Amino acid sequence: MRTGAGAGHTGYLHEAVCYDSDEHLLAVVLPFLLGGVEAGEPTLVSFGARNAALVRDALPAGCPVTFLPGGEVYARPAGAIRSYRDLLAEHVAAGAGQIRIVGELGREQFGDTWDWWARYESAINHAYDDFPLWSMCAYDTRSTPAHVLADVLRTHPQTAGPGGRHTANDEYTDPETFLLENRPEAADPLQWHPPAADVLDAPPEEARRIVRAAGEGRVGRARLDDLTLAVSEIVANAGRYGRPSTRLRVWAADGRVVVSVADAGAGPKDPFAGLLPAASEHSAGFGLWITHQVCDHVSLQRAPDSFTVRMTVKN
Amino acid sequence: MRNLATDQHICWTYDDPGQLHAYARSYLDAGLAAGQRAWFAGLADPGWLPEGAEFVSLESTYAAGVAVDPKAQVAAYAAATEAALAAGHTGLRVFADCTALVRTDSELDAFARYEALVDRFIAVAPMQAVCALHRAEAGARAVGELACLHPRTNAAEARFTLRGDPHAPGAVLVSGELDSAADLLFPVALDRVEPHPEHGQIIFDAHGLQFVDHRAMLHLQRYAERRDVTVVLRTSLTTAAHLVELLRLTRIWIEAAG
Repeated sequence: MRTGAGAGHTGYLHEAVCYDSDEHLLAVVLPFLLGGVEAGEPTLVSFGARNAALVRDALPAGCPVTFLPGGEVYARPAGAIRSYRDLLAEHVAAGAGQIRIVGELGREQFGDTWDWWARYESAINHAYDDFPLWSMCAYDTRSTPAHVLADVLRTHPQTAGPGGRHTANDEYTDPETFLLENRPEAADPLQWHPPAADVLDAPPEEARRIVRAAGEGRVGRARLDDLTLAVSEIVANAGRYGRPSTRLRVWAADGRVVVSVADAGAGPKDPFAGLLPAASEHSAGFGLWITHQVCDHVSLQRAPDSFTVRMTVKN
Repeated sequence: MRNLATDQHICWTYDDPGQLHAYARSYLDAGLAAGQRAWFAGLADPGWLPEGAEFVSLESTYAAGVAVDPKAQVAAYAAATEAALAAGHTGLRVFADCTALVRTDSELDAFARYEALVDRFIAVAPMQAVCALHRAEAGARAVGELACLHPRTNAAEARFTLRGDPHAPGAVLVSGELDSAADLLFPVALDRVEPHPEHGQIIFDAHGLQFVDHRAMLHLQRYAERRDVTVVLRTSLTTAAHLVELLRLTRIWIEAAG
């Protein structure tokens, strides 16, 4: 049985909390957490150190709220989805009727990599809908860029406010629509320079050689292996599912390597491609999902006559 | 990693008889110069064998037209190698045009199993061999399936090599690149190299592996499930460990190799 705003709801209830003071945040989050504890529901907090301490201090002593370590879980969206799905499945298997989680992204995720975190916020409406989850994603309006807040309203069906308010977001956009839109892609400064390699129609084995040669000594061996795997998958996808020609470009500097692969096709039709594993390991989505799991950033750009995947790894 | 000579056992493809003539002659000449007994195995004596080289018909060596018996064939070559040594030669060198031995699926399967088995023998015995295939007649599939079982080949169809470890019956050696192009070849090769598991494990010595993708890792997992073993993959590729974790490949253990 579900309680609070989740009562009567099926699947995932995904709310934003757009707060402008500690008091505002606590006025929303504390009742949310205490209600979960009172109902005997698994109740979790995934905040950075500052807000975790704020909430911990405000909760009654010994309150059985679980504080999750952030860190690696939020290293990349596809990894976060996988980790959270595992966590939710464990709670459901243990008999949970509802799980409550309040979380936040770090400020570093509002920068050049926001595009894939925006996709994350949209995709989880579908990815967590298998579970009786009620979650709140907290955004500090004083430090969150306006374009990020605009995406927050488009990716969360509701906003939670003090006093038990739950307001539908008019701007909310179904993930099937949102995820097929182009997100603004911040140009990596490396791309202001001529690429170290710019090759048409390289088969996967040649693409791997090119990436290894350009990236050697620029990033650690393990990161370069990961990037090589990702590029090989994307080039193979372009050859199998895209349309010629495929253009491979590589930029490399100390500590960072950027690769873009563009073909003349329309890209995958599956809006969740990359963030969720495809049903079949033989589909293009499977390689794109692995790419999202091993790179430090992946952005997708669609145009009527091209689909571009840009992959970045760094030390 | 053990250093195994890669020119002991070669899969060589050709497009016209002139190429076969030139390569076989030079190969057999070099064997004779090194004191080896030199055999050319084919359907008929080509008439251009160097003096001292012997023609051996495929029918007498491999029973062409029927599927090869892998164990019996390896035993026959072991006996022939012994005989060569007994006759004062330094070993046995064979150039075999195997095209006629892989005309049907069952012939190809048996011959590939034989190749995997004889490779273990050749790696440690005073025997060397070239297995020649006419590219068009044998076909790309047969060429790929056989080439990947040899330590050396001129065939572009195989970018990886899978061999039994001649020094460890429970181990195989895998090298090269396992990418999307290996998606069909790798599972077939896995079933033809037949290591004997020890303590429920098959060791894959992958020091020479330069790339592995998720398809190959999934093939390894299914292979381990079929054989009810754990695959121990010794590799320096950190991506292999990532894929094991991402794909939850419970039958594969990664041992980091330097």
